[in-house]
Amino acid sequence: MERTPIIEMKGIVKVYPDGTKALKGVDLTVYEGEILGLLGENGAGKTTLMKTLFGMLHPTSGKILIRGKEVQFKSPSDAIAQGIGMVHQHFTLVEVFDALHNIILGMEGHGLFSKIDVDKAKERLQKLMDDLNFKVPLETPVEDLPVGVQQRIEILKMLYRDVDVLILDEPTAVLTPVEVEELFRVLRQLKEEGKTIIFISHKLNEVMDLTDRVTVIRKGEVVGTVNTSEATPQLLARMMVGRDVVLRIEKPPKEPGEPILRVENLKVRGDRGEVAVNGLSFDVRAGEIFGIAGVEGNGQTELIEAISGLRKVEEGKIYLQGKDITGKGPRELYDLGMAHVPEDRTHMGLILDMTVTENSLLGLHWRPDFQYVKGVINWNKAREHARSLIEQFDISAPGTEAPVKALSGGNQQKLIVAREVSKEPVFIIAAQPTRGVDVASTEYIRNYLVKLRNEGKAVLLVSADLDEVIQLSDRMGIIYEGEFMGVVKPEEVSTEEIGMMMGGIRYEEIRK
Amino acid sequence: MDAGSVISILITSLMAMVPIVLTSVGAAWSERAGVVSIGYEGVLLMSAFFGAIFAELAGSAVVGLLGGMLVGILLGMLHGALTVYLKGDHVIPGIGINLLAMGVVPFGILAYWGTAGQHQLPQDAQMWHLQTAYGDLSPMVFVTMAIALVTWWVLFKTPLGLRVRSVGENPEAADALGINVEKYRFWSAVYGHALAGLGGAFMSVDWLGLVHKTMSGGRGFIALANMVFSGWNPLVSLIGGWLFGFFDALAAWLAPKHIIPGQFILMLPYIMTLVIVAGIIGKARPPKADGKPYKRE
Repeated sequence: MERTPIIEMKGIVKVYPDGTKALKGVDLTVYEGEILGLLGENGAGKTTLMKTLFGMLHPTSGKILIRGKEVQFKSPSDAIAQGIGMVHQHFTLVEVFDALHNIILGMEGHGLFSKIDVDKAKERLQKLMDDLNFKVPLETPVEDLPVGVQQRIEILKMLYRDVDVLILDEPTAVLTPVEVEELFRVLRQLKEEGKTIIFISHKLNEVMDLTDRVTVIRKGEVVGTVNTSEATPQLLARMMVGRDVVLRIEKPPKEPGEPILRVENLKVRGDRGEVAVNGLSFDVRAGEIFGIAGVEGNGQTELIEAISGLRKVEEGKIYLQGKDITGKGPRELYDLGMAHVPEDRTHMGLILDMTVTENSLLGLHWRPDFQYVKGVINWNKAREHARSLIEQFDISAPGTEAPVKALSGGNQQKLIVAREVSKEPVFIIAAQPTRGVDVASTEYIRNYLVKLRNEGKAVLLVSADLDEVIQLSDRMGIIYEGEFMGVVKPEEVSTEEIGMMMGGIRYEEIRK
Repeated sequence: MDAGSVISILITSLMAMVPIVLTSVGAAWSERAGVVSIGYEGVLLMSAFFGAIFAELAGSAVVGLLGGMLVGILLGMLHGALTVYLKGDHVIPGIGINLLAMGVVPFGILAYWGTAGQHQLPQDAQMWHLQTAYGDLSPMVFVTMAIALVTWWVLFKTPLGLRVRSVGENPEAADALGINVEKYRFWSAVYGHALAGLGGAFMSVDWLGLVHKTMSGGRGFIALANMVFSGWNPLVSLIGGWLFGFFDALAAWLAPKHIIPGQFILMLPYIMTLVIVAGIIGKARPPKADGKPYKRE
C-alpha cells in the first residue's frame, strides 16, 4: 500500500476555557486510502481530536498538515473545502427537509435567487447512490426516517461534497447489526475508491473487523498505534483501559444481606424509541455496592431513569424491598426509601441559582418537620438542616444563603450526596458520583459510599470511571447495548477482560 | 344585505388585508430564519406616522410608502443587532419598540402638526386609488399579493430560501455547511420589519389618508396570529390575512347599523383572532430554532 500521509496532526493540545485539558499533545498520522481506527474510552479525547481536525474546535497549540501543507480551519466549511468531512454522533440534519435538500444545502448551484435545479441534483445523487449501492429515500422528511437512514444521509452529504477523508464518530452506536454490516461494506468500497476513513469507536470487534491500523487514545494522549493485522482484542483492551489506580479505598469484607432492589427482565426505550435497556435482571443486596460499568450510552442513563421513576418501563418489573415499584413516580419512591444522586448535577441534582438551604431542602420540603403548617415552609428548620449538612459533610460554602452556583463542583456534589443521604434511604442510586469532582471530594464521596454499604444500605453505582467501579463494587455488571456482558466480582477478573466486555464480548466467550 | 353591500365589504376587506398580510409575510420570513419579533405593532404605528411625514414633505404617497419601509428597516436592524449579533432575548426588544411607538406617535402628531391625536393628510400625500362604484381600491392590494407570492416562491424554491429555512430549523447544520447563520438571520429580520413598515405607511398615506395615535389597532399582533394560523407560509397568510381583513370590514359595515352597540361589533376581528388562535394552539409547529439565539460552541 502506498504510504502517503494525507493528514498529520502534531502536538495537538486542547485546553477548554474551564481549564480542562482534553488533549495533551497528540500526534496522529493518517495515510491516504486507509481505514484508521481511533479507539478509546469516553472522555479519552477521540471526538475532541477529530473536532479540531474538522474545524469545529480550535487547538490551543499544535499543527495540522493536510497533504504536507499546514492549515488552519476557522469552521467546518473550511475543512470540507479541503476535502475533510465528518459525520457526528448527533446528526446535523434539518429535520423538516427531505434528504435531497439536506444534502444540497449550501451548494445548491446557480445564484441565490434562481430556482433550485432539483432534477439535476437528484440525478447526481442518484448516481452517487447507485455507484455505492447505498440508498436513501430522497423526498421523505428526514424526521420520518429511521436513524440508520439518517446516518446514510449524513454520509452522502459529505460524499456529495467530494471529500477525500471521511471521519465517522461512533457510527455504529445507533445501528442494528444488519445496518452495521451494510455500513462496513460501503466504507470498504469507499476505501477501494481511494477515500481515507477515520473510524472512531470503543468497540473492539468492529475496530478489529474494519480497520487497517488503530490508534489508541487514553486521557488525551496517544497510547500507541498498531497495525490491526498484528493486534488482538486483548492487546487493544489493555491499551484502552489499562492504567494506574489513583486512589485506594478501604473496604472491609462484608457478607451482603437480603436483596433490597430487584430488577427483573427490564426493558426500557431511549429518547429515540430504540431499545436502550434490553431485558436486564439483577439485584442489589443490603450492605452491597453493585456497580455498573460500561462505555456511556449503552443504556445506563435509561436504566437509572427507569429505576428512579423518571422513565417509562416497557417490560419487566422493579421491586424495592419486595414491593413492586414499577411505574411509580419519584415522590413515592422517596417515601419508600429510595435516594438518587443523579448523573448530571447541574441539570438534575441542583438548581444552581437557588441557595444552599433551598437546594438542601429539595425532596424534603413536603416533610412535616420542615413545615409550620401544611404548605408553609419553616425556613429556620431548613437553615438548620443545611447547616448540619455543611458541617457533617465538610462542605465548603460561603454560607447557607449563598447560591449553589458559588460552590465548587466537588462541594456541589457533596451537597447532593448529603441531601440524598439525609432522606435516610435504604437504597441509593449513585450515578457518576465523582464526575468533574476534585480529588479530595472524590475520595470523600467514595469513602462515604463504602460507609453506607458498611451500614447495610444497598448502593447501585453507575459510573463511566472504570477504576471507581472496580474499587468500590462488591459485584459489577458490565453493560453493553443494554445487556450485561457479565456480572462479576471485580477481584476475579482482569481489567483486560473488563475492557473486552465493555467492547461487547461476553464473559462466557472470554473464559471459554 | 344587498349585493352592493357585499361587494363593498369585499373591496374594503381587500384594503384591510394589506397591512396584516404584509406584516404576516414579513414575520413568517423572519421566523423561518429563526428571529421572533413581537414589535410589529410598534413598527406599524411608527411607520404610519413617519411615512405620512415623508409623504407630506415630498408631496408623494410613494415616497411615504418607501419612508415607512425605511423606518421598518431601521427598526429591523435594531432588532436584528440585539437578537442575532448580541444574542439577546427575542421578545424584550419588541416590547420596547411597541412602548416606544405608543409614546413617540401621539407626541409626534402633536409636535409636528399641532393637532392632538389625529391628523388628516393633504390630497397630494395620499395614494391614487382605483375608483369603483362600491369603494376605492389601492394598487397596493396587488403589490401585496405579488409580495406574498414572490416571498413564498423565494422561500421554497430558491437556494436563498432553503438557507433561510435551514438557519431557522437547525443553525448548527447550516453552520457546518458554511452558511453564515448570523448574516441570514439579520437580513431576514430586516426584511420582516421592512414589510411591516410598508404596511404601516400604507395605512396612513394610502388606505385611510390620516394619522391616528392608535391606528395600528393591534394589527401587528393579529398579523402574528395570522402567521401562526398560516403555518409560517406567506402564500397561505395571504388568504388568512384576507379573512382577518374581511372581519375588519364586516365590523366597520355593521357597527353604524346599531343592531347591537357598535363597540361589540368592532370587537369582531379580535374575537375571531382569539377563536382561530385557540383553535390551532398546540397544533402549529414553528421552525425548530425559532427565537433561539445561535452561538457556536
